[in-house]
Amino acid sequence: MAQQLGFWIDQQYCTGCKACQVACKDKHDLPLGVTWRRVVEYSGGSWSTDPAAGTFAPNVFTYYTSISCNHCDDPICVAVCPTTAMHKGADGIVSVDPAKCVGCRFCEWACPYSAPQFDPTAGVMTKCDLCADELAEGRDPACVAACPSRVLHYGEIADLRAEHGDRADVAPLPDPSITRPNLVITPHRHAEPTDAGTGTITNPEEI
Amino acid sequence: MTTTTPRTPLDTPVTRRSFVAWSAAAGGAAAAVGTGARLGLLPLTPARAATGGDGPRQVWSACMVNCGSRCPVLLTVEDGQITRVDSDPTGGDDLELPQIRACVRGRAIRQRVHNPDRLKHPMRRVGPRGSGEFERISWDEAFDAVAEALRSTIDRYGNEAVYLNYGTGVLGATVACSWPPAATGVARLMNLLGGYLNHYSDYSTAQITTAYPFHYGEWVSGNSFDDLVNSQLVVLFGNNPHETRMSGGGELFVTTRAKQASQVRTIVIDPRQSETAVTLADEWVPIRPNTDAALVAGLAHVMISEDLQDQAFLDRYCVGFDEDHLPDGAAPGSSYRSYVLGRGPDGTPKTPDWAAAITGVPAGTITRLAREIAGAKPCSINQGWGPQRHSNGENSARAVFTLAAMIGQIGVPGGGTGGREAAYSMATAAFPTLKNPVSTEVSVFNWTDAIYRHDEMTALSDGVRGADRLTAPIRFIWQYAGNALVNQHADINRTAEILSEPDDLTIVVIDHQMTVSARYADILLPDASTPEQVDLAQQGSAGALGYLVLADRAIEPMWECRPVYDILTGVAERMGVADEFTEGRSQEDWVREVLAETRKLTPAVPDFETFRRQGIYKEMSPDGPVVPLADFRADPEANPLSTPSGKIEIYSAALQEIADTWELPEGDRVTALPEYVESREGPEDPLRERYPLQLIGHHYKSRTHSTYGNVPWLQEAHPQEMWINPADAADRDVRSGDTVDVVNDRGRVRIVARVTPRIAPGVVSIPQGAWFAPDADGVDLGGSVNTLTSLHPSPLAKGNAQHTNLVEVTRT
Amino acid sequence: MPVGELPLVLFTLLTQMSVGSFVALGAVHVLARRRYPAATVDRLSDPALYAIGPVMVAALAVSLLHLGNPVNLLNVLNNLGSSWLSREILLGCAFTALGAAFALCQWRRWLTPGVRQAVAAVTAVVGLVFVWASAQVYLIPTVPAWDTWTTPVAFLATTFLLGCLAVGAAFVVAASVRTRRAAAQGARPEAEAEVDAMLRSSLRGIGLTAIAVLAVELLVLPAWLLGLANDGSPAATAAAAALTAGGWLHLRLVLAVLGGGVLALFLYRAAAAGGRRLLLVTAGSAFVLVLVAETVGRVQFFESYARIGI
Ligand SMILES: Nc1nc2c(c(=O)[nH]1)N[C@H]1C(S)=C(S)[C@@H](COP(=O)(O)OP(=O)(O)OC[C@H]3O[C@@H](n4cnc5c(=O)[nH]c(N)nc54)[C@H](O)[C@@H]3O)O[C@H]1N2
Ligand SMILES: Nc1nc2c(c(=O)[nH]1)N[C@H]1C(S)=C(S)[C@@H](COP(=O)(O)OP(=O)(O)OC[C@H]3O[C@@H](n4cnc5c(=O)[nH]c(N)nc54)[C@H](O)[C@@H]3O)O[C@H]1N2
Ligand code: SF4
Ligand code: SF4
Ligand code: SF4
Ligand code: SF4
Ligand code: SF4
Ligand SMILES: [Mo]
Repeated sequence: MAQQLGFWIDQQYCTGCKACQVACKDKHDLPLGVTWRRVVEYSGGSWSTDPAAGTFAPNVFTYYTSISCNHCDDPICVAVCPTTAMHKGADGIVSVDPAKCVGCRFCEWACPYSAPQFDPTAGVMTKCDLCADELAEGRDPACVAACPSRVLHYGEIADLRAEHGDRADVAPLPDPSITRPNLVITPHRHAEPTDAGTGTITNPEEI
Repeated sequence: MTTTTPRTPLDTPVTRRSFVAWSAAAGGAAAAVGTGARLGLLPLTPARAATGGDGPRQVWSACMVNCGSRCPVLLTVEDGQITRVDSDPTGGDDLELPQIRACVRGRAIRQRVHNPDRLKHPMRRVGPRGSGEFERISWDEAFDAVAEALRSTIDRYGNEAVYLNYGTGVLGATVACSWPPAATGVARLMNLLGGYLNHYSDYSTAQITTAYPFHYGEWVSGNSFDDLVNSQLVVLFGNNPHETRMSGGGELFVTTRAKQASQVRTIVIDPRQSETAVTLADEWVPIRPNTDAALVAGLAHVMISEDLQDQAFLDRYCVGFDEDHLPDGAAPGSSYRSYVLGRGPDGTPKTPDWAAAITGVPAGTITRLAREIAGAKPCSINQGWGPQRHSNGENSARAVFTLAAMIGQIGVPGGGTGGREAAYSMATAAFPTLKNPVSTEVSVFNWTDAIYRHDEMTALSDGVRGADRLTAPIRFIWQYAGNALVNQHADINRTAEILSEPDDLTIVVIDHQMTVSARYADILLPDASTPEQVDLAQQGSAGALGYLVLADRAIEPMWECRPVYDILTGVAERMGVADEFTEGRSQEDWVREVLAETRKLTPAVPDFETFRRQGIYKEMSPDGPVVPLADFRADPEANPLSTPSGKIEIYSAALQEIADTWELPEGDRVTALPEYVESREGPEDPLRERYPLQLIGHHYKSRTHSTYGNVPWLQEAHPQEMWINPADAADRDVRSGDTVDVVNDRGRVRIVARVTPRIAPGVVSIPQGAWFAPDADGVDLGGSVNTLTSLHPSPLAKGNAQHTNLVEVTRT
Repeated sequence: MPVGELPLVLFTLLTQMSVGSFVALGAVHVLARRRYPAATVDRLSDPALYAIGPVMVAALAVSLLHLGNPVNLLNVLNNLGSSWLSREILLGCAFTALGAAFALCQWRRWLTPGVRQAVAAVTAVVGLVFVWASAQVYLIPTVPAWDTWTTPVAFLATTFLLGCLAVGAAFVVAASVRTRRAAAQGARPEAEAEVDAMLRSSLRGIGLTAIAVLAVELLVLPAWLLGLANDGSPAATAAAAALTAGGWLHLRLVLAVLGGGVLALFLYRAAAAGGRRLLLVTAGSAFVLVLVAETVGRVQFFESYARIGI
């Protein structure tokens, strides 16, 4: 079996530009509403104001997280899928077989990363396949190749973890123990832990 | 910029794999490898195979819009359609000859090229101007109509009545270049026909461009961003490269790498927690818009009180900081020191408390910042153009220059002039456009006045240049690759009214989409988009990187579209100047010609055939980071500035003269010092009782101005929403996602609110550039901020103060 | 209201009502057979029994509307190894098949009553396991509002409440139809008296059962809401907000208490001596009110979907 692949995101310098998202849509010809890679804006904190002095001071934070599918070790999407259309391949890539999928959307309900994306026209689930065709020809996944800030990377998860640590427990991402994502995050300096996030997802409609 | 010897020509298409091999062979940087290699992963990315025959082909093109960056794109073409977009596969991930990765917009270029809004045929207006009612005509009819209107306008009013409006839609091109007007094919044609009314400065930088000569003698940029690694502290006033220089080979990439390398402490002063504040800033200092000059005065007060300023620098290189260094004739008490300490005419000390009340920045923060800025050596003071696109922007710009002078970090590595970052640029030739026989110019912004009150417009009243006054009204407008006719100009409702009035006005719009401005055309000419023609793409701002792209014709012009060069040739034929216009050359011939000239300046640039295959040529600056005024710093006597004193003029006698002689509208002020001036629709305007919120319109990642504004993937990724602080939203019972009306006396915009702590209380921002789309009641449903902006120009530059607006927000 | 989930609302409600009805009929059978001859019992209960099959089939058919791509329907049993959805569908089909087999035997009087009863018992157990499996489908660890013990309890409560009230309503309708027909045909009066007696005692039991199940529901609901409130995660908070928005929760409670409490109590009392017409109205409206209440509750259950993470 091939080594498990995963993503590494250096959250510190992600600008939320979504070049990754659009490169993926371009590569896979995805229609509106079907977005395999999404970028979450997480923002919080408060302002203090001094009305007498006419001043304000922020204690405000914001950071972005670009997420597609983490090709998890415990893929809850696969567990709930009645048809086995959602499956983890020998290469560790979790993908949908449209010839099996009934479009019941249970995987979408379950995945805490919003990775499965329903295609209403075809009636089936779709999702990031890690650009398996590009990988086969020795090229980077489209999203990785697109990131203008060079903060989105992929590789063998063991190597990524060895080099960049093993954190994926950053709000608003879920507790990694649930699905054991193959994801490594270098946290933004303001990043909050999964269970103690005080901010909110400020672009829910974009995910 | 001087001509340079390239260090590293790339004369074959370089895949990442071969680039690594090549750089290793050259003993080059082992670090210059791709992500995969650095991680010890999969093989490096080869370019995707371009098969021959009828199968998919890959063709180099470029994104030519005006975003300050410039990206090559590698288009996959199948059956005459662009089916996929890749970015530059050559080069690596560090600052040495990097991959120039296209931003989110360039990635979506195929939805702009293959867009339902594309213009397909020449058209003539049949309904009232602006109604959008057109009839299809042939190219012959179109050329006749344009020629006829041109001739009659020139016969009746002279060439000064023909105006080339601002348009930056293909500013990156060479033959199809759309800006500055004098560099365009339209100018070449008009220059053969007796000339045209030109404009000075631009919508980007009107105030700072006009302020520069008084302060520094000419435009002087700050140090280039690759120099940030040499700084101890970086202070960005309203500069947002992570949204306004988004290329992954341009300043976004350069600043990211610089920060990663040095972790230099960075302070961003901006009413919004911009993307740059998110990624680069250690501290974000929110400020009320239009008050940067007050903040600087407050900082100066602390520095002077605690004697922290670099007095030796001020004594040697500047005039007007101290009473001792005022030019002859300046009134006593007119130095900056006197202004700050309250010893000038206004008698008000500019204490931190004073500045706090105006700017919103707490006095304690001002004191702390002053000490930190004065103490960090070297410190880079840098401003974007948001602070100056205001009703008092000339003074804001000069105030920030003055702060840079006070800490004496000008002309040294790690320092800065207070201007926006410089960048290396390789030497290239230009498309020759001949000389304009008409010398008269209006400001980029007050051309609308020249339509209906040209006879009142003089040098002293309206900043007319090149002549004392206008002698003709504007009666013919060329709008090539611009939306500034309506959407990007201010006060759209009033602008539409002005445009609708004169019967003998002719508006010719050459665009590739049915834009807001296109709706106002009398004659509408469908241009071929960039991938439908061959051209040279000039580089964008990219630190120490210089490059040139050969943007080839990837697909045939669609429908009846024609490249602008061919369109202008058609008009030139009707006007009897075809031979002079073309000199017998096709567009490709010109590209070859300009390339040949460029190779004289930069011999490493490949010849046309090689370039066509290779797509891109890159080189690094041989001199390292750009440090403007280094020579002046080293020897100010030998290398004086072109100001009257040869020094940095914090007090400008020339400005004092203008203040004394110009006829300024009530409330407008020009000052010799970079004072904070309370201005129209600023935070102190009593109008705030009715319109309590300051409205700005930041440049947005979804679009480059209005270009890409109709691309579905981008609208989905970055929806058009108005930013509002939670406190202001709560006062108005507005929640994120609610539709709100944003109103002032000029118009009404209906837009979705994004309630976010990322914007200061009392401030809202509608990202500029969305397409004006009025409903039957005139309410703009498109979210174009220019529905609400003012035509009142700034005092000195007569420029667009589009970030200075007061509004109220209500739930619908 | 999430019209998209309407098929699932209907599917879960109708299948649970079917299972509940089957179980209730079984209980009535077992209890009634002690006092009344088989013919009498069958007379009252058979019509209700035959109604279950079509309802089950309709429910299964409606559930197809939830699928984006029913073409691949046959694959849904592929993942019995880990997918509760596969298991639910298998069990649902098994219950339907067993129920149909039993109804056929009952109709044709095939096999001995003892064997038939054994088949019925197996069917009832499979039905209950099916309801339990249905609940397991929603115990998704990433959905706090669903992933709680209250989901299976609530599903079972719905099963029993709707089941018994449906049977009650079916009985009075069947009895009225019978009586009218019997009068017209001049049937044996003793037999009709037996039917009447059995009807009344069944209704008393049904009234009491409904009240007891309602009590369970009234305990589960606050426990559910409290659990969400204590969870504190954004998803749980969003779920709680969805549940308490717009007064639907109140509507549901009022209707459930009226139908499953007040009317059920009234039914219990009236069953002793009340007129047939009164019983018809009471049992009928108790069922309708509870059906509406449960529908609102189930819609709200699906509304409370909010996932942790992004
Ligand atoms: N309120 C407010 N207004 C502003 C600003 C602001 O900050 N606030 N910013 C101002 C600034 S800085 C600027 S530079 C201006 C920019 O104003 P413009 O120069 O008008 O820029 P765009 O809106 O991008 O318009 C470019 C036009 O070129 C067209 N175009 C693109 N490609 C092609 C092509 O290949 N051929 C042809 N013929 N046309 C093409 C596009 O369709 C579009 O209509 O806006 C100014 N307006
Ligand atoms: N994505 C994208 N990139 C672009 C463009 C685009 O439309 N889209 N346009 C391009 C063009 S032509 C230009 S000219 C440049 C424009 O570049 P800028 O003029 O620098 O851009 P703006 O967004 O107008 O302003 C920059 C920042 O200044 C802040 N600001 C506004 N008013 C004030 C103030 O009074 N004081 C301070 N301190 N800050 C203030 C804004 O919130 C914003 O974050 O961008 C270029 N790049
Ligand atoms: S991220 Fe979601 S869809 Fe992807 S493998 Fe994990 S659980 Fe499945
Ligand atoms: S939608 Fe398709 S992939 Fe997802 S759970 Fe259902 S059958 Fe499986
Ligand atoms: S790896 Fe490929 S499919 Fe997955 S998000 Fe990136 S571009 Fe999309
Ligand atoms: S392309 Fe890179 S910087 Fe932009 S949103 Fe994606 S991960 Fe972040
Ligand atoms: S908009 Fe600017 S940064 Fe983006 S692709 Fe085009 S040239 Fe590059
Ligand atoms: Mo600009």
